[in-house]
Amino acid sequence: MSSDTWLRRIRLKNRAWLRRHSYSFFSSLGVLLKHKIGTLMTVMVLGIAMFLPLGLYMTLTNLEGMNLRQDEWSAITVFFKSGTTQKDVNRVAAELDERLNPEAVVIISPTEGMADFRDASGFGESLDMLEENPLPWVMQVSPQSGPTEQVEAHVGELIGYLQSVDSIEVTQFDYKWLQRLGRMMELGQAAVTVLMLLFGLAVVVVVANTIRLDVASHAEEIEILALVGAGNAFVRQPFLYTGLWYGLMGGLLAVLLLSLTTLYLGGPLGLLLETYGTVFSLRGLGFNNTLWVLSGGSFLGWLGAWVSVQRYLRRLKVGGRLGR
Amino acid sequence: MIKFERVSKLYPGGSRALADVSFQIEPGSMVFLTGHSGAGKSTLLRLVMMLERASRGKVIVNGRNLSNCPDRLAPAVRRSTGMIFQDHKLLKDKTVADNVALPLMIAGLKYSDIRKRVRAALDKVGLLDKEHAWPLTLSGGEQQRVGIARAIVSMPPLLLADEPTGNLDPNLSRELFSLFAQISEQGATVLVASHDLELIRLTRKRVLVLSNGRLADDIPASDGL
Repeated sequence: MSSDTWLRRIRLKNRAWLRRHSYSFFSSLGVLLKHKIGTLMTVMVLGIAMFLPLGLYMTLTNLEGMNLRQDEWSAITVFFKSGTTQKDVNRVAAELDERLNPEAVVIISPTEGMADFRDASGFGESLDMLEENPLPWVMQVSPQSGPTEQVEAHVGELIGYLQSVDSIEVTQFDYKWLQRLGRMMELGQAAVTVLMLLFGLAVVVVVANTIRLDVASHAEEIEILALVGAGNAFVRQPFLYTGLWYGLMGGLLAVLLLSLTTLYLGGPLGLLLETYGTVFSLRGLGFNNTLWVLSGGSFLGWLGAWVSVQRYLRRLKVGGRLGR
Repeated sequence: MIKFERVSKLYPGGSRALADVSFQIEPGSMVFLTGHSGAGKSTLLRLVMMLERASRGKVIVNGRNLSNCPDRLAPAVRRSTGMIFQDHKLLKDKTVADNVALPLMIAGLKYSDIRKRVRAALDKVGLLDKEHAWPLTLSGGEQQRVGIARAIVSMPPLLLADEPTGNLDPNLSRELFSLFAQISEQGATVLVASHDLELIRLTRKRVLVLSNGRLADDIPASDGL
């Protein structure tokens, strides 16, 4: 056989394959549209099942995105002993900068500190009565920003060094809180993973059950198809496409629900955060994640259908009940 | 076209449907298969369709030994065989044309070709005007002819019919048999299982007689019983 006829054969085969698929593709869509209420109910269950882990995921993403003023939380405040001179303070700052290279070191002199305090506290005139400034030299050290573990290690080093300096009275840091928050986020992410697995499984099971009923109601048709020579693939295809449609529509519904929720919660949440002095806007799912949800949903639906049909097809093999 | 070599079929549970059956059918011939009910007619057809496997012996159809043919080739075997059923086996929610088109859909033909060939097949059984009708609106004889159109639409080299005249009156039955004869004259091998002895005699074709799973008689064609 020449290579030309080979190519022709392959092309013909591909075309036949494509035609069979387009037939299943449209017939499955037609069946879904024919049973609108049933389809709608299944799609709603799937949509909500997909929405729950996605919602939690988006909540976490937004929490992380808020940054929660990490710089402020992680800053270390250093109070020098009274009697420390500006020269000493500058030396400590320079040495710290050289050794551990923090993001920033801000020195606040007693005079500046008093001015700030006067503005913030409203004790203005009574403070004038003090004979001398009781405030110490203060230094604020911000660690390099980065992933949580890195910041943690860096803060540890900084504190270790600062506590070894003689002229420093007290070292204060709120980093524990940040650590706790970090751990909580990790916990939340683990919960998202577990939920995604569980609800993914739920999607597969829901589609499998729906398709199982669908297959059972088409038992006669399947038998006739098999009798006139349809292979397993041909019998399976429309159901696989139905599963795919279910998954895709469920995914679309989940994305829609998520957008609506974001829209609905965005306003009140913004107002709440404003009272904390944070300007913030809720992040949506984004294009890539949307694509992931839709393709993931489609795949899970397809998988559910496959599981269901495969069980049924075993009954159609040679020596089975076909044609009786 | 069909060759049985000492074929036996035992169903699970021990009931014997066929015992030591041997015969051969030449390509392009038309043969009747008869016998009392339970004699093994359906089992024999099921073996040819690869719906069952022989317990012993060889079933060779169109040069292929079905006894050692893997399961996954069964659909291909069925596609090269047109089968007509007593209860028609039509899809009620599809039009006549769509029913007839099924084997071509499965083969993945072009839509325009499918349309042409469906109309040709319907024309042959005289149902061209019922193209868009629903199967349940047709009479029993018409439904049977839709089944025949579906069986011949892909022009298979082998046509099997299991009690095709089961529910039809004698006139319709005679028409049907002459249709089969016509199809076989165009080159297809036709094997018809029927217990309509009257009609079988009239057609003067070869007759295989089964009795209790054994081949009791093999009456050659045209000797005018």
